[in-house]
Amino acid sequence: MDLPQVLSRLAESAAIALRAEAASVYLLDDSGTHLSVAAVHGLPAELLNRAPQPVQSCALDREALTSQSTVIADIQDSRAELCVPLIHAGKPLGTLHIYSIQSARFGEHDATRLRPLADLGAAAIALARRVTELEIMEARKAEFVHVATHELRSPVTVAQSLVRSVLKRYASELNDQQVEVFTRISRRLDFLESLVNDLLDLAAGKASELAEERPVSLNASVGRVMLLWQPRAEEKNQAMTLDLCRDQLVVRGTEEGLDRILVNLVGNAVKYTPPGGSVTVSVQRVDGQAQVAVSDTGIGIPKESLPHLFEEFYRAPNAKKMAEVGTGLGLSIVKDLVERYGGRVQVQSTVGQGTTFTVTFPLLSANTP
Amino acid sequence: MANKRVLIVHDDPDMVTALRLTLESAGYEISDAGTSQEGLQKVKERAPDLVVLDAALETSADLQVSLALRNPAPQSPYAAYRHIPILMLTAPHTAASLRSGPEEAYLPVDDFVDKPIDPNVLLEKVRSLIL
Repeated sequence: MDLPQVLSRLAESAAIALRAEAASVYLLDDSGTHLSVAAVHGLPAELLNRAPQPVQSCALDREALTSQSTVIADIQDSRAELCVPLIHAGKPLGTLHIYSIQSARFGEHDATRLRPLADLGAAAIALARRVTELEIMEARKAEFVHVATHELRSPVTVAQSLVRSVLKRYASELNDQQVEVFTRISRRLDFLESLVNDLLDLAAGKASELAEERPVSLNASVGRVMLLWQPRAEEKNQAMTLDLCRDQLVVRGTEEGLDRILVNLVGNAVKYTPPGGSVTVSVQRVDGQAQVAVSDTGIGIPKESLPHLFEEFYRAPNAKKMAEVGTGLGLSIVKDLVERYGGRVQVQSTVGQGTTFTVTFPLLSANTP
Repeated sequence: MANKRVLIVHDDPDMVTALRLTLESAGYEISDAGTSQEGLQKVKERAPDLVVLDAALETSADLQVSLALRNPAPQSPYAAYRHIPILMLTAPHTAASLRSGPEEAYLPVDDFVDKPIDPNVLLEKVRSLIL
């Protein structure tokens, strides 16, 4: 529930609890000197547009807040009003008013009745505000990473373009030393490029408003990804096997996101399996869910690494020893995306034998061809 | 036979250098422009055999070189240059390389080259565009 909903529920619940005609919630501003109408029940909505009032001029509220107890008022024998302070962790947040057209309607027992509701209401208000704060912080962080990585990308690709022109002898002939130096520079730039792209993916994943989820074909995604990694697997003389179930499994997500999950998993299988090994991808319907399993006969994952596997920048010690480039972000991106789409990712591995990553998604539909 | 002329429209002088190194050693005559406006001006001045554009610049600038050059109106100031082939540099996102075409496909260009530039790929595409 967001703050407006919390406030509205509080006003409503209070009126109902006391069987009163109307209720309203007032909130203090940051300086604690002015009160504004934040929610109404049984009263015209225009009240919400009223200008903030100094606490000093609101007798009831002032009394309720300073005494930290409920105040009951009978107005000119025609109305009754009850005012409860909303206090959380010692900090005053505002006041809750209950109204009745019957004078002398409210008594001490009503005040007692309202106390727990007011306390809960204050706690809910504090919590809702905190959640909003955190959401804003999260959005700002994601925006920052997004902008920073775009800024990083341009100089990296330009530097790579320059280095490649030189390495291919388009600037001049090169001696062995120069080739070595430029090759090393080029490798570092390639790594930097991977890192920037991964960071961009991670940040884009966290900015969830950007991605509109819809039904996506799992089978099609797997097919695309296998094609992408086939050349590299062939280079390493690896056997790539695809075991697709006949039904077209449709899951909720984005094409880009689903491709990304599979690119990373299949890519890892190819990268961390020595030449001559094999990589198998299977897509099945299991227990009414869509399941993708990526298996390899690769170096495996040590037991100690398993708890850290999905952490950002983590790379297992045996993976680091291999000549393959890795940023350590691939699996954290996979986990982020899989969970975003309502799925789960699990891993089973034996060092020196191989690894299987299993991703399960809720099934939207399965179309039998 | 005169050398074939290539016009590079790019706001990053380092990228222009990278392209120049490769293209000049292959015998092309290179001129460059730092903005879209300057680029269009130079097309008129030099009538190049190929124009190289950058997707980031094309999509963010107020003026699109490709759209201006390919304007179908008979009275367009660039009507005489409508036939010049256009090569566009694009920065593919790693997952985007899986898609069949870049997002910039709506701009009227003849071919694309991914950044970072592989000099051999660049030369191959330039050769096939300048007939």
